[in-house]
Amino acid sequence: MTLTRQFNPAAWQPEIEMVRFDLANGLTLFVLPDKRLPILSLQIHYKVGSRHELSGVTGISHLFEHMMFRGTETLGPEEFSRILQAKGGEINAFTTKDHTSYFENLPSEHLELGLQLEADRLKNLKLDDETFQPERQVVISERKLRSVDSPFGLVLEELFSAAYTQHPYQWPVIGWNQDLQRMTLEDCRKYYSEHYHPGNMTIVISGDAEPQAVRDLVEKYFGDIPPPGLPPAPRVVEPPQRGERRVIFKKVSQVEAFFAGFHTVGLDHPDIYPLNLLTLIMSGGKSSRFYQEFVRPGKAVEVSLELASPPWAAQDPDILILVAIAAPGQPLTELEESIWNEVNRVLSDGVTPEELARAKKLMRAQGARSLAHNFFRGLLVGLFHMKTGDAGQVNRLLASYEQVTAEDINRVARQYLREDNRTVVILKPVSPEESQRLGELA
Amino acid sequence: MINYIPEIYQSSLPGGLNLIGMEYDRVPWVSLTFMVKRGAETDPPGKAGAADWAAEFLTLGTARRNQLELATDIESRGAALKARGGFDAVMVSLEGLAEDFPQLMATMAEIVQTPGFPEEEFPLLKERRRAELTHLLDEPREMANIRFLKLFFGDAPYGHPAQGTLESVAVLELKDLQDFYRREFSPRAASLVVVGMVEAAQVEPEAARNFGAWTGGGSPSPTYLAAPEKLCAPGIYLWDRPELTQSEIRMGHLGLPRSHPDFFALKLVNYILGGGGFSSRLMTRIRSDLGLTYGIRSQFHFRRAPGPFVVSTFTPAAKTAQVVKEITRVMTEVERDGVTPQELAEAQSYHVGHFPLGLETPQGLARQLLSVDLYDLGRDYLKKYCDEIRTVTLETAAQAAQIHLRPESLVTLVMGPASQCAAALQELGPVTFIQES
Repeated sequence: MTLTRQFNPAAWQPEIEMVRFDLANGLTLFVLPDKRLPILSLQIHYKVGSRHELSGVTGISHLFEHMMFRGTETLGPEEFSRILQAKGGEINAFTTKDHTSYFENLPSEHLELGLQLEADRLKNLKLDDETFQPERQVVISERKLRSVDSPFGLVLEELFSAAYTQHPYQWPVIGWNQDLQRMTLEDCRKYYSEHYHPGNMTIVISGDAEPQAVRDLVEKYFGDIPPPGLPPAPRVVEPPQRGERRVIFKKVSQVEAFFAGFHTVGLDHPDIYPLNLLTLIMSGGKSSRFYQEFVRPGKAVEVSLELASPPWAAQDPDILILVAIAAPGQPLTELEESIWNEVNRVLSDGVTPEELARAKKLMRAQGARSLAHNFFRGLLVGLFHMKTGDAGQVNRLLASYEQVTAEDINRVARQYLREDNRTVVILKPVSPEESQRLGELA
Repeated sequence: MINYIPEIYQSSLPGGLNLIGMEYDRVPWVSLTFMVKRGAETDPPGKAGAADWAAEFLTLGTARRNQLELATDIESRGAALKARGGFDAVMVSLEGLAEDFPQLMATMAEIVQTPGFPEEEFPLLKERRRAELTHLLDEPREMANIRFLKLFFGDAPYGHPAQGTLESVAVLELKDLQDFYRREFSPRAASLVVVGMVEAAQVEPEAARNFGAWTGGGSPSPTYLAAPEKLCAPGIYLWDRPELTQSEIRMGHLGLPRSHPDFFALKLVNYILGGGGFSSRLMTRIRSDLGLTYGIRSQFHFRRAPGPFVVSTFTPAAKTAQVVKEITRVMTEVERDGVTPQELAEAQSYHVGHFPLGLETPQGLARQLLSVDLYDLGRDYLKKYCDEIRTVTLETAAQAAQIHLRPESLVTLVMGPASQCAAALQELGPVTFIQES
């Protein structure tokens, strides 16, 4: 097949073409056809993440994601991955606070095989002690890697657990060590039956595919799975914070650092757009305020303002995180004071039109860049749908940023970057001996 | 017939610079990479980081503009500038929206041809690098990688980290960066790679206008091709880090140059051994069967000169010796018995099926072009790639495994709490305790 190629950037259309199908059993399917290459991204998003967990079984969403690769009644452990990888596929999965997503980026000729295997593990997953016990150990090793032995993993966990007093975002996606140690196979079985069914999932096929043919295939493999009804959705509202919270965390570290979290909004709130532009103005690139003020002169290894951008933003109100890692030998108290001065400068003087224009163009560029990839196109559609029920937001994304004014940014800065609304965790370095005296890291 | 690989265009500019590119029409993006085919392997003794620092320094000001003016101009276009030195090459990349292509090309030329080497930026760069390298001490995986290469290669060119060391921070001078630039930034050993929504008919004159007259640079260093004469003795080396809960493990020996004729056979053998994720024997044994790690992989670092072959993993400290033993056992089985027909067939179909996924984005295409050019793989390399994979046989794979996997020569570095792993390691053989450097 020969495609007409056009090299006029001005004529380029950023809209993603999407065709939606709703199966009788509640399954939602999006097909995003694009035939440039004989490849596609097959994605299955389950609407379950750490926000659906209960205290005592934290981390089960992520551990269960691992179990989905451990075999079915007819396939051995990891055979799912081996079969699709042998066709050229990239196979992986990830768990977040709000959802669990599985994907296979593969040659389009193997779509049916991918769907067949996904349906097999949805219907016939093998959950027994033989596979559960080693996988629990793998996850405990992963937790040590990502949280315990990493420079700031435990510090960030402290931040979330101090900033949220009631909402499930207070625990890490990977779960608390004690919960991982005591979780049972029975917990996994219950979780599987509650959350893994057509009514709670969205399939996205992005790339070389015909919508109607895909629909027929999905009906063939998933259409006969009954929906047991939607699991109860947690509706926890974190109460407004009424004053700064400060926590000290001691560990072996070469540097002092602090992480400050400010309660903001979730994906479906319009303030998410000015807030994201604000993060770019403060710390996006080398011309940003924080880079010029703190990183370039060597006062800090890093000073940044971070908030996941749509559609990666959390479904419920997330925290905007200010990360400040002092340069070795630089006192943290002075750094913290100068950072708040810099933040206060934005609150009092606002941002400039040049800064806003730069941030908007950075967003436009990043948006265009991500649309080169079937995988990201699929994620954009799937995540907007899962978290807001409106996949069409993907095609209004650029406009949502373009509409933001300097006054919007100044308003959200003043509204959210308040001292009463922040939680600060300070990393205080200690020697290995003192660290051991303080007790086990877990 | 594979018809989805974009045609490569190539021309030699009047000053001698090689221009190579591909047209790309999916998104209005353009990726420009200036590649100098000399890198950290040319760092003078004791001056680790010279090439990489020189690369970053180019972004800190030109003859015409200071660092802030440059960054503001680039970022106001939504573009991104990165410059880094690795082994075998230094890359300066500038990517952005295709509508800004002429400005991006002019900016790239300005950065590469007229660096300002502003003196006031050097102490700041030095402080930033010192801070980053100190902070790196808290990253167990990075520290294990760096320590392994130093242990293995010693003072040979691939033995130091490209970004420099805390020791070299103290001695590097602005002159070292300028020397690297003046010596190696020459059209005789460089290429400009352009991939994006810009037609070749526009790229070529624009490149000629901006780079055609450039003849700069001295005589580039001779290419580094030989294997080092002296390497670390095989055995177990333990770096005690009592504060860690897991051990980082690196096991390796000398690998091969990119030009070696066994490249494709060994690529497939390594995929089966430890490069292929859940399709590999190491992942199956150490993670899936035993639950002893979250991740394990093996890799041949194919460079101009023989790079290292390394198996990398981590495990709860008490399990360290068991993992070291299992890795050696799995590697010995592949070396002795080769791979099975099914494993080879699946490794081949993976590489053939996966090939178009690497051509999806401008960055993916640029990576392919840079590799083709850096290692002289030939203009038809991408078109022949799948056939090269398919022609590997069970016999050639077994032969490659037997010749190039050498479990008896493994240098094993363990970085972890000695109190929990030393005794068990000593049962496997003598253990040499080492320090940070």
